[in-house]
Amino acid sequence: MELFLYTALFSPLVGSLFAALFGASPKTKIAGIVPSALLGVSFLSSLVLLVLVMGTGLTLHVEMMTWMATGDLYIPFGFVVDQVSVTMMIVVTLVSTVVHVYAIGYMDHDKGFNRFFSYLSAFVFSMMILVMSDNFAGLFIGWEGVGLCSWLLIGFWYHKESASWAANEAFIMNRIADLGMLIGIFLVYWNTGTLQYKEAFAVMPSLDNAILTWMGIFLFIGAMGKSAQFPLHTWLADAMEGPTPVSALIHAATMVTAGVYLVVRANPLYNLIPHVGLFIASLGAFVALFAASMALVNRDMKRVIAYSTLSQLGYMFAAAGLGAYWVALFHLMAHAFFKALLFLGAGNVMHAMHDELDPFKMGGLSKVMKGTFLMMTIASVALAGIFPLAGFFSKDLILEVAFVEHHYIIYSVLLFTAALTAFYSFRLVALIFHGEERYKLFGIHPHEAYKFMLVAMSPLLLLAIIAGAFKMSYFEMVSKLLPATEYHVHSAATYWIMTIGTQLLVILAIAYAYKKYTSRDIAVPDGTSKMENSFAYKLLINQYYIPYFYQEYIVKAYRELSEVFWTKIDQKVVDATVDGIANVFYQTGERTRVMQSGNLSTMLKWMVAGTVALLSLAVVFGLAARYSGEIRVFLSGLGV
Amino acid sequence: MLDHILSILIFFPALAAMLGFVVHKDSMRSYGVAVATIEFALSLWLWFAFDSTISGMQFMEQIALVPTFGINYIVGVDGISLFIIILASFFTMIGIASLGETKDVKNMIITLLFLQMTMAGVFAALDAIVFYLFWELSLVPMLYIIGAWGGPLRIYASVKFFLYTFAGSLVMLVGMLFMAYFYFQATGQWSFAILDWYRLILPESFQLWLFVAFFLGFAIKVPMFPFHTWLPYAHGQAPTIGSVILAAILLKMGTYAFIRFSLPLFPDASVYFMYPIAVLAIIMIIYTAMVAYAQKDIKQVVAYSSVSHMGVIILGTFALNVEGISGSIFLMIAHGVVSGALFFLVGVIYDRRHTKYMSEFGGLAHVMPRYATIFGLMMMASVGLPLTINFVGEFLSLLGFYKQSHVLTLLAGTAIIVGAIYMLSAYKKMFFGVITKDENRNLPDVNKRELLALIPLAIITVWLGIYPKPVLGTIDTSVEAVVSLMHEKAISKEAKSRIPNIANETDMTKNSVEEAH
Repeated sequence: MELFLYTALFSPLVGSLFAALFGASPKTKIAGIVPSALLGVSFLSSLVLLVLVMGTGLTLHVEMMTWMATGDLYIPFGFVVDQVSVTMMIVVTLVSTVVHVYAIGYMDHDKGFNRFFSYLSAFVFSMMILVMSDNFAGLFIGWEGVGLCSWLLIGFWYHKESASWAANEAFIMNRIADLGMLIGIFLVYWNTGTLQYKEAFAVMPSLDNAILTWMGIFLFIGAMGKSAQFPLHTWLADAMEGPTPVSALIHAATMVTAGVYLVVRANPLYNLIPHVGLFIASLGAFVALFAASMALVNRDMKRVIAYSTLSQLGYMFAAAGLGAYWVALFHLMAHAFFKALLFLGAGNVMHAMHDELDPFKMGGLSKVMKGTFLMMTIASVALAGIFPLAGFFSKDLILEVAFVEHHYIIYSVLLFTAALTAFYSFRLVALIFHGEERYKLFGIHPHEAYKFMLVAMSPLLLLAIIAGAFKMSYFEMVSKLLPATEYHVHSAATYWIMTIGTQLLVILAIAYAYKKYTSRDIAVPDGTSKMENSFAYKLLINQYYIPYFYQEYIVKAYRELSEVFWTKIDQKVVDATVDGIANVFYQTGERTRVMQSGNLSTMLKWMVAGTVALLSLAVVFGLAARYSGEIRVFLSGLGV
Repeated sequence: MLDHILSILIFFPALAAMLGFVVHKDSMRSYGVAVATIEFALSLWLWFAFDSTISGMQFMEQIALVPTFGINYIVGVDGISLFIIILASFFTMIGIASLGETKDVKNMIITLLFLQMTMAGVFAALDAIVFYLFWELSLVPMLYIIGAWGGPLRIYASVKFFLYTFAGSLVMLVGMLFMAYFYFQATGQWSFAILDWYRLILPESFQLWLFVAFFLGFAIKVPMFPFHTWLPYAHGQAPTIGSVILAAILLKMGTYAFIRFSLPLFPDASVYFMYPIAVLAIIMIIYTAMVAYAQKDIKQVVAYSSVSHMGVIILGTFALNVEGISGSIFLMIAHGVVSGALFFLVGVIYDRRHTKYMSEFGGLAHVMPRYATIFGLMMMASVGLPLTINFVGEFLSLLGFYKQSHVLTLLAGTAIIVGAIYMLSAYKKMFFGVITKDENRNLPDVNKRELLALIPLAIITVWLGIYPKPVLGTIDTSVEAVVSLMHEKAISKEAKSRIPNIANETDMTKNSVEEAH
């Protein structure tokens, strides 16, 4: 079985290196096909492992070799396949296989085709390290590895200033969070003496609550960066500068869920500190609403979906924070399927529209892009959480968790957000696929994507529809490792009212979005309408002015301070002092060299002066030595 | 031969350099490469013959110089110095091999070989006077390299470099004389042997003064804030090879000396000064990283980044536990490899464009993809990405210091943020975007001679990042000996509790193992 583990882990690396061989040469299909095939292999191996874990309940644990060992610290490259990591492995390998195959078509005309696949497979490898490691340090390797690949892929079109800017923003913002993570790791090490999950979690119950709280907070700060939680969320929307398959894989399905994975993985820790858990849940609920509100008005198709991702991550954190780890993980899985599908569909639309992103310039595309239309609609239905699609089972479950745990504020926030989700999703669908064909104004002739791209997307389509059916079998598997709490609303009447109520609310929101955005005479926002001049709209379209604030008060301040440090302090103070001291010696030399002018009478004068000085010193010291007793008495009289 | 391998390592390049004066100009390059390769092979042999299970000194040699004052030629090597010696000979080798078009190649190679002698000497010396001799001698070739092959401000830069470090080391020399005198008072015998000094327990008040004296010499060499301003000038004016060796090896003399002298000789003073030094280290990390961000010249960015990284090394050293000190020694190697490589890379573009201003570049990734890739790898290593060499050192240094202070480590940890800021923005300015300058349109990518230096460095960067054990394990053994020596010698209660007691711990684990059986 170890063979399958290593195959699953290392075939993406092989694929990446293979594509890297062609890095500098012109585009070859083979550089895309081989990594995709290898990912397929990785997926099949993961599937075998899933069957094993699911069927027998066994878990695998291997130690490949030592990484770092010094003092009492021992960190191996160790990997574990258990109920949690196998879930992540399946999600990661499945979505990335789909995205790889899709990208063969999507990146068809791109000069950097080979390079793209090298980065993309490297990302998958890092992600596998992240989810499969058996210790915090290994997790951190993957954590930084996905950060690197994310940087490479957001800035893939590096000739674009905005792309490389967004890449740097993402990297640096993640680094801020990584510091928190690192401190969390240090805390774990110095308090438990190990970084291995199993041993560390075993020690934790005996630790002081304050220490555990700090541990939980710092690790969660790390999670906040990768999962783009407020206030470290701005990079995710800007990350949409990357190619769309990247957005689908990294910034929707896998990397951004790493934070959720961390919280789920560290569940023995978070179980001990429910107050931190409550904070996580509250932040999650807040982000769910906060992100959804920004998605309402945004005019960039990909950014809308990015905000939707952010919002759904909020849902996952809400569940995880309330202790419903398996629910969070289940929503993570379902979300990965339908969100990746949505992004890939958006990619098709972008291609058809020559990289146009404003849905107000589209409309009526359902006639020319039937397949994409169908897929994006189903993905949106799944996202909105309509029975019997995947989102219904996973998202409604989170609502139930909040309800059953008596956190009614979180529950109502999440419920309201569900309506918003349905609205903005179908606002997008309506604007893109229905109504008037506004794109004709711009002289664009849209066309459907390649057949094989649609075929590649179909597994996601299938899973977006049926993933909910696996809920109970998934629960049985994963509850061997995670707290096995089933969340049932006790009274049947309440349950039905809640479920049907939610469904009705969501359907109403969809209907409203359709009505508003399919009408023939929708107003294309041009800055004149009343709504656009309202405060709320401006607040939302400017993302609550947070990016502006960061730019003006943090980025600029940092730059100016750096400038001051260099020109004012380093040059004018520190270095000037050094040169000043040197100058004192130099000037003293310059001034005193007149003494040695060679003129006999001047030199004689100095000699006499020197002799007098020496003699008087000798006299003073001689007297001082003779009368030292008296002087001491005298001084003591003065109080010295 | 193995008995005298250290002396051979020290004096072979010097001898070869003397002979170099009679070698013909045209064959000088191959002569230099041959000598440096032999030197490197010898240092590898040293590693091969080195027994990494022994924590003490190996391959010791002793020749009496001035017996009345206990001055002897003593050399030896342990896990702490071994890898820096290897690194020095390695850099001399690839430095000479990849030497670009330089005027007066012959003198340059002779100077480099002399420099190699002083570097091997400093790290192998176990007698304070011999150490001091090599320490000061190493200034001369560097002074010559900057002064003869440097940029327009070379005279100012080289004199500043020389006088500044020289002034610091004079104070250190005074400290050494006092140390020997105290030894004489305690034992009735003069000795400058470091291993003898290790056995001397000084009262805390003496330690404090001596610590400060040594500190000045070391801190200027490192260079620590606020003594760092000679470094940007030296790097700014030095030719590529000078910057490479300066950053990779010469700066390490300071941090190495902290571990060789300050910690084991003055454990109480080390604890006493731990917080002030940590604060200085944190200022180094954050402040110089910000200064680096403000630079317009890519070489200055790398120069200031060196100072910033040295801050992490200092912090690891003053963690005073095995994790931190091992990490800081590993980071010395790592920083040597990475910053050396970065200076090589800056040299590559300087040779082509004769400018170092980042505003002159932009979009280089289009025309020089290989160069961009290697630069990217080294940048990521410098930023401290896991599985690159720097991460291991940085992680362990910070991890070690966390034991001493949580808040200060949190502040020092910003190194991973501020480092990313200046590096990524510099990389973006140079490599991303569209090509705006016509001169950049047809730049040739890295050539074979340059790859000769860059490929091995890239391999080491990744190899030791993934598998640091062969180096880290050896370092660890010697560091454990240092830490337990410090714990034994420490007088004050504070110091006893700050410096972990390894001997006890191993006993305890032994006991628990026995109990388990």
